[in-house]
Amino acid sequence: MIIRGGIVYDPANGIFGEEIDLCIDRGRIVEDAKGEEIDAHDLLVMAGGVDAHSHIAGAKVNAGRIMRPDDARLGMEQATAVCRPSTGYTVPNCYAIGYRYAHLGYTTAFEAATPILESRHTHEELEEIPIIDKGALTLFGSNWEVMQCVRENDLKKLAAYVAWGLRASKGYGVKIVNPGGGEAWGFGANVKGIYDPVPNFDVTPAEIMKSLAQVNESLRLPHSIHVHFNNLGKPGNYTTAIESLDLFKDIKPSRMRQVVHVAHMQFSAYGGTSWKDFKSEAPAIADYFNKNHFCTMDIGQILFGSATTMTADAPLEYGNAHLLHTKWSNHDIELEESSGVVPLVYLRKNPVNAIQWAIGMELALLTKDPWNVILTTDHPNGSPFVNYPEVVSLLMSKVKRQEELSNIHELASKRTTLTGIEREMDWCDIAIMTRAAPAKILGLEDKGHLGVGADADVAVYDLRPEEVDPSTQHDLVKKALAVAKYTIKGGVLASRDGEIMAAPVGRTFWVDASVAKEDEERMMEDLKEKFDRYYSIKLSNYMVQDAYVPNPVVIKAGALPVEEVAP
Amino acid sequence: MRTITLRPLRAFEVSVEAETISPSRFASLTLGQIRTQEVFMGNWKMKLADLFKVEGDEPLATPEETTIVLEGDFSKVKRIGEGMGAGTLEVRGNVGMRAGSGMKGGLMMIRGNADDWLGREMSGGKIVVEENAGNYIGSGYRGEKYGMRGGEIEIGGSAGAYLGEHMCAGTIRVKGDTGDFPGAVNQGGTIFIGGDTYLPGAEMTKGSIMVRGKATMLPSYQKAEVVTLEGIQYQKYVGDLVENGKGELYVATNSA
Repeated sequence: MIIRGGIVYDPANGIFGEEIDLCIDRGRIVEDAKGEEIDAHDLLVMAGGVDAHSHIAGAKVNAGRIMRPDDARLGMEQATAVCRPSTGYTVPNCYAIGYRYAHLGYTTAFEAATPILESRHTHEELEEIPIIDKGALTLFGSNWEVMQCVRENDLKKLAAYVAWGLRASKGYGVKIVNPGGGEAWGFGANVKGIYDPVPNFDVTPAEIMKSLAQVNESLRLPHSIHVHFNNLGKPGNYTTAIESLDLFKDIKPSRMRQVVHVAHMQFSAYGGTSWKDFKSEAPAIADYFNKNHFCTMDIGQILFGSATTMTADAPLEYGNAHLLHTKWSNHDIELEESSGVVPLVYLRKNPVNAIQWAIGMELALLTKDPWNVILTTDHPNGSPFVNYPEVVSLLMSKVKRQEELSNIHELASKRTTLTGIEREMDWCDIAIMTRAAPAKILGLEDKGHLGVGADADVAVYDLRPEEVDPSTQHDLVKKALAVAKYTIKGGVLASRDGEIMAAPVGRTFWVDASVAKEDEERMMEDLKEKFDRYYSIKLSNYMVQDAYVPNPVVIKAGALPVEEVAP
Repeated sequence: MRTITLRPLRAFEVSVEAETISPSRFASLTLGQIRTQEVFMGNWKMKLADLFKVEGDEPLATPEETTIVLEGDFSKVKRIGEGMGAGTLEVRGNVGMRAGSGMKGGLMMIRGNADDWLGREMSGGKIVVEENAGNYIGSGYRGEKYGMRGGEIEIGGSAGAYLGEHMCAGTIRVKGDTGDFPGAVNQGGTIFIGGDTYLPGAEMTKGSIMVRGKATMLPSYQKAEVVTLEGIQYQKYVGDLVENGKGELYVATNSA
């Protein structure tokens, strides 16, 4: 297959809007190819989009679906010759997730949080998501065994557990959510600051985060730790964010990437002392990211309208449900985590929501290097991923931002600096924020770029970048990005003008890290005791079998040669 | 005035989804076009004329000037008059689930019984049922926070459970008894119940419910004064206190 004449933006390879023919053979970008030709003359061409943080599969997504039959009604689409039926808007069914990502020109998405115990469910759903490649980050931040290793200051044992946990869950990376809080919640409490000991466990969130970061680097995992900070969603929490970030300053990365990725930064960039004097501290956060390069973030933009918040931060969801007086699901995951789901609607005239909206914009625009800040809506917490084109058109147009600011609560202009921000992103920034940077941050070498050897994931948009001025013609930008002209996934034309042409099966990435046998043996002794005494299931039934991941891409990691991997 | 009559060609074993049967949609269609309207019977896509005999006046009219008469048993035909905005729809028999859902205006006369979800989330117009109605009359659909937003429903017989759940505005009158939990999670609107009922107004925050027969009360209602309306004495209650509600509940004293 050859894609002719497109205006290619491939910042990872230093290509900024050049007319290039792309050749594809056997699912890869190659030097030269024959066969079908796709005419992309003068059209915007980028690598397939990569979503590094999205809640697309697993028990809490399904809890959202069960709680929201009203949401299912919002996205009904009938089956076609290629497609199975779609439902839902904020919590779409599995099929719809694949089709809608393909319509956007996205070809990879990572589920942001799955406890080991629920991973089988997560993989069953991931397997049903067509077209896109995917992976899942495994939760470690409130795990009893993690906290025990940290308390004993035994990082080798912790490394053995993390490696085992990734294998048990067929997970891709280390996700930390409100460290310590998840299990404190099991006893009806929460942690307040990062130096507050977790009740009953005698470790602090700071120790948990730092130990996991060190272990993550000692195992040379492709992705860094991926953290949802303590005190998320509370006024004044930006100090917690900066305190937490400072923990990782001295840790050396084991690969060419960050040592910590901060999830949905928008929810952790709040100033003020209560909802009454709630304000933005995004400039302080952006300043930190401009001065330090060991950390990256995704913005977690909110957009006005319906959303379903879902997180392993169960105490946060308890607060949401009581504040908003709405339905709430709460879930305890034995020795690992807790989680919650709360549907909500972000309103333009609500001062808090308006400020939250502006904070996300500020973070993206004030952080100078787009490689350090990637685009997400923390689907479906801030907004469903189908609204990414709206976020892009806002980032590219000051005019559009001002229009929106005049429509929303006035405090968004007074309590944030958004009105004064002149920056308008260009296509290069957008290509980095939506493709190149997420792939680099996740450590996916064949994604997010169009160099020879890369996966043949290509998006062609019906927009002429040399003619359209995104600043004033933001509606054209939004329209073009919402429905890709062509989405090619692994060399197969998956979507054309909003119609699914083929639904190939995607692959699932997971990481197999090796550790020393003796560390693993020590760790297994701990685990056996935990399974005998506390878990409701047996250790032998715990690990996700290979059959649940029929199309795996196993990435080897670890400090030791692969042969020494314990069975 | 244009009248169109539909008669089922057979007794349906599998439910038919016929949201197309509505004055708003038929008004601008010729009889030939009406006969080819798409309906689903189970998962089979069919034409209206495959299932119904369609007769009536040919000349087009406005929706207001259009009357649809359904003769026979329509108890397996769902979604009749969905979203209708004007005109008249008369059912000479029973009607299936979700009749008049999302209705905005016009009149629906049902000479027999109505099934569940009648007039769900309707915002205007009037539905009259001469006999009994099922559950969830004028309520919000599953998971929805807002039910009936306006309009009127009158039921000559009795109604099932969850009458007017999540109701926001409008009026429902039931001559007979109702099932459990009428007016649950109400945020407005008025419900009259001629007969007996069980646990009315659970989690109601606004709106009013009036019961002429016996009512088993929730403990979370506070007694207020006794009032006389149309010559009948009612005990007034305020609640639901579980939700800090300001809903008003009137229960006739002579029946208690």
